Amino acid sequence: MQWQSTPQGHLRWRIFFIAGILLSSWVYNIGFLMPILQIESNYSTLIFAGLLVGFGTRMGSGCTSGHAVCGISRLSIRSLIATLSFMLSGFLCAYLFFHGI
Amino acid sequence: MQLIIVFASGLVFGLGLIISGMSNPQNVIQFLDIASLWNPSLLLVMLGAIPVTTLGFYWIEKHHKTAFGSHLDLPGKTHIHAELIIGNIIFGAGWAIAGFCPGPALVALGAGYMKALVFVIAMILGMLLHDQSYLKVKQYFLQHTN
Repeated sequence: MQWQSTPQGHLRWRIFFIAGILLSSWVYNIGFLMPILQIESNYSTLIFAGLLVGFGTRMGSGCTSGHAVCGISRLSIRSLIATLSFMLSGFLCAYLFFHGI
Repeated sequence: MQLIIVFASGLVFGLGLIISGMSNPQNVIQFLDIASLWNPSLLLVMLGAIPVTTLGFYWIEKHHKTAFGSHLDLPGKTHIHAELIIGNIIFGAGWAIAGFCPGPALVALGAGYMKALVFVIAMILGMLLHDQSYLKVKQYFLQHTN
């Protein structure tokens, strides 16, 4: 499994980073009211989409924050191509899924 | 100390996603679904984030270390292969139909949404499917075609 082959000493900080993301809504709630997140997809859509996102991000070595925000900022051609791939796929799939064919 | 900084980074990342509205899947779907009333916020968030990140990486690459002095491993891969494109097309499809990518899904999970939990479990299964099944099948074929 990927996490078992994580380079020595890298597993711990990754857990802390994820913990920070998980607790962000709690911290936001201290000063502000957490906005309602509209998750309108039904459970089968969420499962299907989750499988695609998990498989795809692993195969494509990244996602929106990794390739689009960080990769493009580092002027990586590889990340630019990755970003164009998921953006074009996203626009096309949103059209097909929400307007049907 | 380093772990606190890493934790704070995750926190700031999550707060950014909440404040920008990107942890709300509807904002993502409305951006990708150009055939309905278009919501450009995702594009604006990207246009805001990229210059800030560019400055950060510029500093980092000049100094060869992070702002807090620790060693840094920057991605070294530059090879563009079919899997990079196919993988991102698959990711884009999942992203479009549910409006979730990994970061915002974790924010929503932390906020206690049952649906986010289901999505994240499926996402982890998708990763396992790639690492445990796909990679093994691929290796098998590579060994037997050579």
